Amino acid sequence: MITAATRTRAGIVGIPPLAVMEMLAGPEFEIFDLDEPHGKIDIETSSPFLPRVYCGILRTVISNSLVIRPEVIYIDTGAGKCDCAVHTATVLEDILPECKVIRTRNSDNTEFGTPLCKTEMPLLAKMAAITASVQEPAPSQSPPPCIPTVGFWGVPPRDFSLLDFFPTTTHIYGWARCMENKTPDNLQLELHYNPNVPTVFFAQSFCAKTALARHLASKHPHGLYLDCDVTAGNSAKAKIQAFLELSGI
Amino acid sequence: MLLADFGTSYCKLLETRSSAPPRLIATRTMDRAMKVDLATGHNGKRYATTYVNELTALARGGLQLISDNSFTLLDCGSRDIKYVAYSGGKIKDMGWNAECGASMGFTIELLEKYYTLDFNTMEIPQSSFSVTCGVLGMSHIFDAVVTGESEEIAVAKFVKGIAINAYNFAKRPEKLYLSGGLCNNPLFTGSFPCPVVSLGRFVLLEGLQASL
Repeated sequence: MITAATRTRAGIVGIPPLAVMEMLAGPEFEIFDLDEPHGKIDIETSSPFLPRVYCGILRTVISNSLVIRPEVIYIDTGAGKCDCAVHTATVLEDILPECKVIRTRNSDNTEFGTPLCKTEMPLLAKMAAITASVQEPAPSQSPPPCIPTVGFWGVPPRDFSLLDFFPTTTHIYGWARCMENKTPDNLQLELHYNPNVPTVFFAQSFCAKTALARHLASKHPHGLYLDCDVTAGNSAKAKIQAFLELSGI
Repeated sequence: MLLADFGTSYCKLLETRSSAPPRLIATRTMDRAMKVDLATGHNGKRYATTYVNELTALARGGLQLISDNSFTLLDCGSRDIKYVAYSGGKIKDMGWNAECGASMGFTIELLEKYYTLDFNTMEIPQSSFSVTCGVLGMSHIFDAVVTGESEEIAVAKFVKGIAINAYNFAKRPEKLYLSGGLCNNPLFTGSFPCPVVSLGRFVLLEGLQASL
């Protein structure tokens, strides 16, 4: 009989391939998305193992892993994640010898669609639904699309509070759209944006995607580049607020 | 109606029903019980019933004062630097650096007093220090003075370094509109590697007026 005590604690980093997620969806596993902050786990617990000037998401992975102590971690280290994850996997192998660290390379190309990215919903709730959908191997519901007034391009931020400022008619682009589509290594989809709506191009500070975010923001006729680290400070929030106000949103 | 830009070192106040020019008061001498109708600045929320984001106030002030429909306006304050860029009448870019650009204006004012310098008479140096913020840049001055450079030249190189850092932060525009208290510092305004148009320290108040 499977109980909470006997379930295998499985951590995931990035988006492991669908076959892995189908296996983890079984009752014998308890899944922890290690990319996301969990409770009050202090990100500084990662500092002995990763530079403090490093991607806030991967620092979170380390601090979560040290506290949650998964028995197995599936960490995507392919082009659908990043080089930093490759090195973080090595660190995890060394600091958690009792944990089985399994590197994956997600090259799934079956498209699940992106209805959440295009529906009318508070942006924070929309992004939370997309990140939660990673753990669901089946297609999500298909809420109806809305006409976009603003775009948010990028990854789910470590600090979701910066999403509070956007209207409910914000469409999501970039890697977060790839997440919902379950094709994290889909550069064409990641590069897509809507030139007809003001768009914030976001990346975590110290992430390689800052280059792409900044480049696309400069190409977009009405784009704003934004990066922030562990938490969204006043200046990051003020930039979003002012950009939306001055764009007539 | 009383409008205020609550800066770190100075507060700028404007009474819209009066023809008097804006007032400038040192923040440390301000009445903490003061209430205004509309405010901006990082202390503004404490003193006002309505608050306008500093970047929004800067942009609206720039739109009032600048006739070009494409421009970059940089505000160099005591504590932070921020800019807005318009292209073809649309907001194109903006930035607000309260961390790595920290304390630039405040440090410049401190240095002038500490070394008893007069920025109005100092020459703009050929070279500069590589300065990313006021606090970290100070060590360059101390190192230069220890190795025999005059205090005046060392501080001038520091000020030029700060101007170049601010210019880079604003994405190196061909022409720069400048706001903030440092508009009155000829050593600073003359240290930019591009033409500078100084708009003075009341641009955010203009933006507040435009927000009414």
